[in-house]
Amino acid sequence: MHSWKELAQEHKGKLILMVIFSLLSGSSIIAQAYLLVYIVNEAFLQGTAFADLLPYLALLLAALLGRTLFNYGNGKIGVRLAALVKSGLRSQLLRKYSKTNMQTAMYGRSGEKVSVIMDTVDEIDDYYSSYIPQVIQSLIIPIMLLITIFTEHFTTGIIIVITAPFIPIFMVIIGFSTKDKSEEQLDKMAAFSGKFLDTLQGLTTLKLYGRSKKQKAEIEESSLNFRDATMVVLKTAFANSFALEFISMLSMGLIALEVAIRLIIFQNITFFTGFLMLILAPEFYNKLKELGNAFHTGRGSSGAFNKLQKELDLPDLPVEWGSYPLEARKPPAIALHDASFYYEEEGFRLDHISVDISPYEQVAIIGKTGSGKSTLLHVIAGLVANTGGEILVNGRVRSEYDESSWFNELSYISQHPYLFSGTVAENIAIGGRTGATREEIEAAGEKAGIAELIASLEKGYDTPIGEAGRGLSGGEKQRVALARAFLKQPSIILFDEPTVGLDLRTERILQQSIKELAKHATIITVAHRLHTIKHADKIILLDSGRVVTVGTHEALLKTNSDYRSMVSAEQGGEQR
Amino acid sequence: MKDLTTVIRLLFKEKKDIILSIICGFIGGITAVGLFSASGYLISQAALAPPIYTLMVLVGTVKLFGIISAIGRYGERYYSHRGTFTMLSNLRVSFYERLEPLAPQIFQKFRSGDLLARIVGDVETLQNFFLRVFYPPIVLFLVFLCTISFTAYFSIAHAIVIFVGFLLTTVLVPAFFAVRQRRVDEGLREKRGKLSTEVTELFYGFRDLKIYQRMDEKEETLNQMAESYVREQEKARIHHLYSESLNTFVSLAVSVAVLGIGAYLITEGTLNGIFLAMLLMISLTVFEDTTSMAIFPSHLEDSRRAASRLSAVVGNEPTEVQEKEDLRLDSSPEIKFQSVSFTYSEEERKTLTQIDLHFPAGSRTAIVGPSGSGKSTLLRLVLNFGTSVQGDILINGEEIRKLNEESIWKYANVVLQENHFFYGTIRDNLKIATDHATDGCFVEILAKVELSHFNLDDEVLEKGANLSGGEKQRLAIARAMLKNSYLWLLDEPTSSMDSVTSTRIYRELFELAKDDTLILVSHRLNGLEKMDQIIVMEEGQIVEVGSYEQLMKQKGYFYELKQIEQSVFHG
Repeated sequence: MHSWKELAQEHKGKLILMVIFSLLSGSSIIAQAYLLVYIVNEAFLQGTAFADLLPYLALLLAALLGRTLFNYGNGKIGVRLAALVKSGLRSQLLRKYSKTNMQTAMYGRSGEKVSVIMDTVDEIDDYYSSYIPQVIQSLIIPIMLLITIFTEHFTTGIIIVITAPFIPIFMVIIGFSTKDKSEEQLDKMAAFSGKFLDTLQGLTTLKLYGRSKKQKAEIEESSLNFRDATMVVLKTAFANSFALEFISMLSMGLIALEVAIRLIIFQNITFFTGFLMLILAPEFYNKLKELGNAFHTGRGSSGAFNKLQKELDLPDLPVEWGSYPLEARKPPAIALHDASFYYEEEGFRLDHISVDISPYEQVAIIGKTGSGKSTLLHVIAGLVANTGGEILVNGRVRSEYDESSWFNELSYISQHPYLFSGTVAENIAIGGRTGATREEIEAAGEKAGIAELIASLEKGYDTPIGEAGRGLSGGEKQRVALARAFLKQPSIILFDEPTVGLDLRTERILQQSIKELAKHATIITVAHRLHTIKHADKIILLDSGRVVTVGTHEALLKTNSDYRSMVSAEQGGEQR
Repeated sequence: MKDLTTVIRLLFKEKKDIILSIICGFIGGITAVGLFSASGYLISQAALAPPIYTLMVLVGTVKLFGIISAIGRYGERYYSHRGTFTMLSNLRVSFYERLEPLAPQIFQKFRSGDLLARIVGDVETLQNFFLRVFYPPIVLFLVFLCTISFTAYFSIAHAIVIFVGFLLTTVLVPAFFAVRQRRVDEGLREKRGKLSTEVTELFYGFRDLKIYQRMDEKEETLNQMAESYVREQEKARIHHLYSESLNTFVSLAVSVAVLGIGAYLITEGTLNGIFLAMLLMISLTVFEDTTSMAIFPSHLEDSRRAASRLSAVVGNEPTEVQEKEDLRLDSSPEIKFQSVSFTYSEEERKTLTQIDLHFPAGSRTAIVGPSGSGKSTLLRLVLNFGTSVQGDILINGEEIRKLNEESIWKYANVVLQENHFFYGTIRDNLKIATDHATDGCFVEILAKVELSHFNLDDEVLEKGANLSGGEKQRLAIARAMLKNSYLWLLDEPTSSMDSVTSTRIYRELFELAKDDTLILVSHRLNGLEKMDQIIVMEEGQIVEVGSYEQLMKQKGYFYELKQIEQSVFHG
């Protein structure tokens, strides 16, 4: 949340404008009161002719128009301010996420982050569009009104000064006595509110067990409990407004009484002054009420602010790049020296990873689930930054290389390739350097074994897929990803081998394609197939984020008992 | 608008709260008007130096009105909110009544997971219907009616002016903005939807965006979309502000008219000057609440949309369930598929094509194949979840579409891939399966599925969030075992368990189900030697059927899948 000080620095112009509009709006209110009272006084007591009052009526109309316009202007600045802040925050978040959100995706928090960008940012709107303009108005206008009241009729001013502080005091007292109770109720509310959704989500299960009819009563009961819990909390809020209204009504009664007594008994004020007091006092209390409401709105946004702040404070771990071009006549030599990676202090970490990968080598990374295989692949790919150690490419620290010349040499074939909204052709072309011809795209599709499928589609390569278009099966997506690689002809291929679930055809195509691509590239595989592992030039065995051992299949069989037992368990097959 | 009538009907169940909110709202409003008119009259009287008792009566009235008004407002808030929440409860129940007969077919129709969350959100939106749309105009109308009648007693002209003002501020201005509101809202929704889709793509496609160097481009597009969304919001907000300001101005202008006409009538001699301040105060006060009418259109529009979305899901009336025959079983059933094809409503391609199958009574069948090949769909068709199927599915020779679904479910012990667990205890979640089991029985079953480390009183969070994947599956199996009827339908019931546990649990299951008909969808291929038949599927078609030995000897699809699986290195 912007503090007022920060706000004043960043949006000085807007704040000043709001202050000016509030001053003008306050002046209009005072002018309106004077004109109203003047006209009534003239018509009622002085017997002034209607025609003579016309200019004053016109002035009054102008004052009212001013009051409305300045109020509108104030609100409009607030809305603009909110829009500016929201845009700023969104682009800050986008900047941050587009730099480092591989971590987010790795830790499965994408949905949460989408909601931060969409909903949380929108939740702060009220703070800028309502709360700030309202607070400025409510600070300036009542003071102007009070000054006017004091100059015109001191006693009314005194009554207001004495009674007005009771409003916040009352609110605080009521607030304190019910705070604990209402917090307890809020917990209850949270528990109840999920019940309806819970039942709807479980409807299939309920029906399968023939229980769904009985749930009606439960929904009703929990809804009514929810109502009662909510009412307890709301009563507090209502009691607050009641106190506010009660006090303002009482004080206005007092003011009326005092004015009347002076008019009749002491006869030391005029009708004009008395009536002016009766007009100005309610305006004063109304503004106080608005301030109360504004605080309520402001409080609602503070949760959203904290969440955004936390999000923006998360460490930024961008991958660093330089400008040195990567020459790629043949695959580069890649070396990790004591590289490490972690995302959260307490969380999982890769540590002390040292591996040399020569050109055209086939490397298999193996290890249990959660040992860090995919994370290592992401570090090698340059998708996340290593937090320690160094990564050398052809003997030079990778961060000195130009980002695009590195990624131009890289293909990543994952278990779940992502298809962008667009046509099949566009989705394949995204893999290649710019300006791939249709022939090249189709040739790549042919090699990846999707030509047949695409031919069966009405629009062929121009069929839209991805978010908006026709869904493809897992195997088909995998083949589109392969087509991308064939088009790109990278010199480094990172491959996350599928575990289960592919159809035989894709399985075969995948095997062949990798063999084909390997002719011109270094291949680093998170391996799940014994076949792949056996034929690897180098096996990296990971456990809990550390390299246990590196070697060929034969060497590891001899030296590492863990490896031996893993392999023999698999070859035994039926271990049930 | 028709959809809202359903809501209104439900609303009228809470007559007492409606009437009390209206009465309290009316009292609160009219006494506020009374308070200010009395003080206006008071001051005018005072100027003429009247006898002191007149003054005392007036002052007393002012105070009394003040107190009553504050109490009235409190009562209004209290009863209107209570009524709203009771109405919400009725709404939930009524919605549930209408949805219940349609489930789970309806989930088949809308496969998107957010349907339910949207439903819950829409029900919540409707809370504003009573609170902001339904009763405030009634209160406003009553207050104006009384005020206008009262004013008419002093001056017809003023009554007319106030009436015109009332029409302007509560009907004409809001109606004018309501039309534009709809357009603004539509633009806003569209922009929001687009942005949300693109942002999601940023996260799920991150790796590919980065590697294919489209990140900067994407960020640029996103920034532009975010900007245009914010602009649209700004437009909507300003539109709102504009309508509010216009409303305020009209109501203030009415007071000027009241004053002007008053001054004119006094000059003409048809109005006593002593009433001028009072009339002015009346008009200033009575229009104070009309500003709330400025937001009326947007609440109305929201409620209308929520109501029509809800009725699009479930209709406005409880659906009449067609009378169908009940399935009756006293031994394990035989199931047949005769050239069955099935397509999900929002998809082009068939999920199942021309399936012919036979599951003999008391047999044990496994369905295997790559993911997306239609295994689970096939299993679900037996439960009659899917609405329109081509071809016939027969249970003991009876066509499934002529059978009452619930009578099929009665005999089915089902474990799906996603099993729901309710907020409550382990016991609550087991009790769903049977009314008659004792705690001892539950404990015994828990031991069988290796969940002995749980107490029956242990808490289960919503959706079983505090249980691991394997624990959830075992609890679901425990539930199915408690039911123990003649037909077992199991969809990858042990996918999250390690193979040792999985094998032990299958042993228990097969022992319990030895005389029943059992269909198991499995992604693993080991342990299938004991099955009577194995069905191999690919792309919605059956590739092979046979026993384990037959399929292995045949060296076909199953054999190859098996070769791959054997070489899979789980680490």
